[in-house]
Amino acid sequence: MATSTTSPAPSRTPGPSRPAAARALRMPRWLNVPGLLFIAVLAGIWELAVDSGALTYQYLPAPSAIVRAGIGLAASGELLGNIAHTLLSTLVGWVIASLIGLALGVWLGLARGPWKYSMATVEVLRAVPAISFVPVAVLLLGFSVRMELVIIVYVSGWPVLVNTIQGVRNVTPTHNDVTRIMHMSTLARIRKIVLPSAAPEVIVGLRLGLALALALAVVAEMVGNPAGIGYALVFQQQALQPEKMFAYVVVIGLLGLLLNSTFVWLTRTAFPGVTALLREEA
Amino acid sequence: MTDVQQAPVEVTAQTSPRFRRRRARQRRRGVPPLRGLLLLAVLLAVWQLVQHGQSAYFPRPSLWWGAVKDLWTGGQLGPAVVATLKTFILALVVATVLGSVVGVLAGRVRLLDRTLGPFLEYCRVMPAAAVVPLAVLFAGYTQKMKIAVVVFAAIWPILLQVRAASRGLNPILLDIAKSMHLGRLGTVRKVLFPSLVPSILLGVRVAAPTVLIIVLLVEILTQVQGVGALIETAQRNFQSAQVYGLVCIAGLLGLLVNALVTLLEGYALRYRPPARS
Repeated sequence: MATSTTSPAPSRTPGPSRPAAARALRMPRWLNVPGLLFIAVLAGIWELAVDSGALTYQYLPAPSAIVRAGIGLAASGELLGNIAHTLLSTLVGWVIASLIGLALGVWLGLARGPWKYSMATVEVLRAVPAISFVPVAVLLLGFSVRMELVIIVYVSGWPVLVNTIQGVRNVTPTHNDVTRIMHMSTLARIRKIVLPSAAPEVIVGLRLGLALALALAVVAEMVGNPAGIGYALVFQQQALQPEKMFAYVVVIGLLGLLLNSTFVWLTRTAFPGVTALLREEA
Repeated sequence: MTDVQQAPVEVTAQTSPRFRRRRARQRRRGVPPLRGLLLLAVLLAVWQLVQHGQSAYFPRPSLWWGAVKDLWTGGQLGPAVVATLKTFILALVVATVLGSVVGVLAGRVRLLDRTLGPFLEYCRVMPAAAVVPLAVLFAGYTQKMKIAVVVFAAIWPILLQVRAASRGLNPILLDIAKSMHLGRLGTVRKVLFPSLVPSILLGVRVAAPTVLIIVLLVEILTQVQGVGALIETAQRNFQSAQVYGLVCIAGLLGLLVNALVTLLEGYALRYRPPARS
C-alpha cells in the first residue's frame, strides 16, 4: 500500500515556484492554505444550502449547529469521557495485538517447521473477513468491554502478524549467515539482525493495525459495548439529535487523524532511517 | 515438495542436501505449503470431538453445516449471497472509476492535489462505521447507501496508486502525444490510460478485500439484505451454529476474492519485473 503521509509536494523547490500570495504572506511551508480554504468553502456552501432551504433533508444540520452541539457536548464532559473510553480501548487493544503479532510473527518467520505447518492456516483465516467475527464475539462475550478488546486485538493483530512474518522471512540470507558465523544466540540474532531488517514491514503493519483498532473500537461500540464514541453516535442517531451525531462523526475523524499523525511522527523521530526507507519505497 | 530419488553423487558444498534444501526454500519463499492447513483441520477436529451435546456458545462444526443448509433450503442464504456479491461488484466498479479519475487529476494538477489534500486525508482516516449513520440519513436503508459507504471506505488504495503513477508519468510520453497532435481525448485514450492500467489494477487488488469487509460491515450495522445481515440476525437470535456457519460462508467469499485478486495481480504485473522480495 502506498504509504501516503500527504507530505505535500516534496520535490518542489521552496522559493520561486510557490504561489505569490503565499510568498507575500510568508506562510510556513507546512500550512496548506488552499487545502484549508477548500474545507472552509465546503462548510460555507453547506451552511448556506441548509439555511436557504436548498437542501431538504429532514435531519441535516448546518455546520454551525454541529459546532454548537460539539461545544455543548464538550462542556458537559460527555464528549471527553467518550473519547477517553474509545481512545483507551483502541490503544490497549492495539498494544496487546502488536505484542502478540510481533512475538508470533518473529517465531513463525524464523522457525521453518511451524511455518510450514501453520502458514496456510494463517492465510485462510486471514481471508475470512475479520468483521464477520464481530457477531461471534458479541455472542460469546456479550455486551462488554472485554468483547470490544477481543475484537480490537483479533483484527488489528493480523496485519502486524502477517507483515512481521514477511519481514522476518525476507532477511537477507547473507545476514543470517553472518549471525551463524558469529555464533550469535537466537536472542541476539533477533535483536541485532532480524528485527532491524524487518522493521519497515513491521512498521507498516503496526500502522495498519492502529487504523483498524480505532475502526473496530467504533464498530464494537456501535453493535455491542454500550460505551464510548461509537455508542454515543448510535444513541444520538436514535435520539434524533442529528447535530450531536454529526459532531461525534467529526470527532471520530479527528481521532483517526490524531492517531495516524502521532504514529507517523513517533516512528519518524524514533527510527529516522527506517521511515526514510519507507518513503523511498512508497 | 516431494523428495526426488537422487542418484549417488559425491556430496560437495554445492550438492549437499542441506544446500539444496535451502535453495529450494528460497525459490518457494512466500508460497506456504498446503500441509499448513493441517493445523486448521486439527483444530476443527478437536472442536468436534470435545463438544458432545448442544452448546449455546461453541456448537460443534458438524452442526454448522446443518444450520447453513437450513438457511439455504429456507431460501434466505441464496439471495443474501447474491446481494452481497452484487454490492461488492458495483462498489468495486464505482470505486475504481472514481478513484482513477480523482487520482489522475490529483496526480497531474498540483494545485488541485494540494487543495483536496487535507479533505481527502480526513476522509481517508475516517472509520467506515462512523459514516454509516450519515449515509443512512441521506439515502435510507438502501442499496445506494451501501454502495456509497463502501466506495467512501475502499476508494483510497486505487486513488493513491493512480495518483502516484500519474505523478511519476514519463513526461516524454506526453510530449510524444503532443508532437503527434493527439487531441485531449486521444491523449487520454492512447497514452494516459494505457500507462495507468497496471496501477489501477494494483489499486483494485489492494482494495478488493477491503470492499468485501466494508460490505459485510454495512450489512451488519444496518441489516440491509446480505450475508452480514444474516450473521447479525443469527447472533441476535442466539443461533450460534448459524453464526459460525455463516462466518465460514463469509470466509469462502473472502477466499474467492483473494483468488480473483491474485489472478488480477498476475495479469497486471505481467510486463513488470518481479517485485524484489
